Amino acid sequence: MKKNYLYIKDIIQKQNVLLAFSLLIILITIGALIVPSFASSISIRSMLLLAAFLGLASLGQTLCALLGGIDLSIPYVIGSANILLASLLNMGLPTTLAILIIIFCGLIVGLINGLLSYRLQGQSIVVTLGVGFIVVGVSQIFTSSGVYGGNVLSQVPPWIRNMSSFGGNTFGFPLPPVVFLWLIITIIMVAIMSRTLFGRSFYAVGGNKRASSRILISEFKIWNLAYIISGGMSAMTGMILLGFSGGGFVGVGDPYLFTTIAAVVIGGTSLLGGQGGYGSTVVGTLVLTVLTSLLVGLGLSYAMQQSVFGLLIIPMVALYARSPQIRNQI
Amino acid sequence: MNFFSKFNQFYMHNPRLERERHLLVPIVLIIILFTVIIFRAPHLFSSDGIGGAIIVISPLILAALALTPIALVGRGGIDLSVGPLIGFINVSLVAWLVGNGYTSPFLVVSYVLGAGILYQVIVAAIIIYIRVSPIIVTLSGYLVLTGVNLTIMDRPSGFSPEWMYEWGYGAEILSPIFFILSGMIIIWFLFSRTVFYQQILLTGADERMAFASGVNTVAARFGAHIMGGIFAGMAALTYTALISSGDPTQGNTYTLAAITAMILGGTSPAGGIGGGLGSVLGSINMYMISYVLSSFNFGNVSGFVTQASTGVILALSLLINSLMNKKVEKL
Repeated sequence: MKKNYLYIKDIIQKQNVLLAFSLLIILITIGALIVPSFASSISIRSMLLLAAFLGLASLGQTLCALLGGIDLSIPYVIGSANILLASLLNMGLPTTLAILIIIFCGLIVGLINGLLSYRLQGQSIVVTLGVGFIVVGVSQIFTSSGVYGGNVLSQVPPWIRNMSSFGGNTFGFPLPPVVFLWLIITIIMVAIMSRTLFGRSFYAVGGNKRASSRILISEFKIWNLAYIISGGMSAMTGMILLGFSGGGFVGVGDPYLFTTIAAVVIGGTSLLGGQGGYGSTVVGTLVLTVLTSLLVGLGLSYAMQQSVFGLLIIPMVALYARSPQIRNQI
Repeated sequence: MNFFSKFNQFYMHNPRLERERHLLVPIVLIIILFTVIIFRAPHLFSSDGIGGAIIVISPLILAALALTPIALVGRGGIDLSVGPLIGFINVSLVAWLVGNGYTSPFLVVSYVLGAGILYQVIVAAIIIYIRVSPIIVTLSGYLVLTGVNLTIMDRPSGFSPEWMYEWGYGAEILSPIFFILSGMIIIWFLFSRTVFYQQILLTGADERMAFASGVNTVAARFGAHIMGGIFAGMAALTYTALISSGDPTQGNTYTLAAITAMILGGTSPAGGIGGGLGSVLGSINMYMISYVLSSFNFGNVSGFVTQASTGVILALSLLINSLMNKKVEKL
């Protein structure tokens, strides 16, 4: 009987992704039919590039969501990493060293997020927001030479520029390397999350805290790791975005405040924890990106795109992440 | 028996005090800030200092009060959309009502209240009947309203109703805004004495327990959101008076500011703990923090210093509150 139940639940879980996936197919079809040059190589290239940024930024958000938490510090860490890299390069540090320092800072921020929000799990939204404010404030005080608020001008090394600029290419192939990087990280993540004990323990903790502590999975460790990874990935995304924009700007992360959550949720990872995965988020990321291009192609303003995203989220969540009725919770 | 254990015994075992324990942090903070301001920037306590402060702070206080009942009723319900909602009421008031010549005070006030309540009823209905978690509903509300606001008005423009023109000067303490603010705080005070408010607290503290004890949790949730809508509407009214025009994007900043103010006031987004007085104190604290910081000369980085210190205070007050409320933590 119990086995049967698990089986059904398994199918339901897959359904979430299938749903998002069919939405993706529908969107692509509509786009190709309605918007001219939607399926052209230029447009596909730009969509993949933008999806890669969002996808990398949403990795940590996915892990946090699997545990029932949220990381709102992501945009602030992205922005801070962006201006910090620019200003460290200005100071004449070797690129590799600068990158390592910033990744390390990102991991530390993640650890702080994790430690603070572990006690306050219901309130991770506010904790991470507070940490985000601190990070972005401190890094701006650190980088600000006084003249341009929030902007740091610098020379970006050519390989970072190639990494994520629109015209970048990978060993002659006309796609910026960041897309391949995203692909590799996706494959590794999906494999880890589905095949290893480490990956499964995220689902265990997110699904049932008490049960997972009974089988000796440390909730403390997993919770902190999720936030540490999130901090590190955000820092990385911020640095990669420097190659895209060509100059440090602290607001570069702002669009990712809610879109990372939207990508996670549309993909099929429930914010209640225990369901979903990075594969789903990748689909969610692609849905958001394709939808954006479609809406741009249809001539909708940025404002209306936001509204459409908002209207899309509730029905998607209503299909798979409804909480049980109160009389069934007792 | 030493003084400390005596104090502890009195303090820990007095249920009335225990319920107001969340006020400890904001009260201590406000005393510190008052002292600092008296030495650093006594101008704030002059007549136009206070008058100006009331004008600026009113939308924030009312927005924080709009968040409070929704947070109190639980399920991690932070209303992320409160900022865009204030913005929406602001731009629609300026563009649709004033733009078409409807400026009677009665009509304007009923419009802002009606719009706030209607929006919050829709949100509550989605949370209750579609059973999607509040964060997601208010997040999508944030996105939808942000878009709608920019569609109604693509850049700051328009005028507030003309009878409101002089409200925004803030040259005297007893301005109309002062009376609106006091009136709304009194309404909150009366509301918090009702049985219904108790039911909101019970629902937020433990929804299953409340339901099993016969509390109408659906009504409590609707009621909390309707109160939130009323306060959001009045926040939008004072905001319109403050800027004397319509602005589609600036309203959004009230989301983060009001959340911070509410948390500073000791209201827990997990539900059941906190109250309106805390949110009022929290908002005043936030204003005074930025006021104190602006009295130091940080030059170009002053905005960043304010941001960083807001973050520090936010995280610290959350931690202190969680340590004090350890007992309440659920398994």
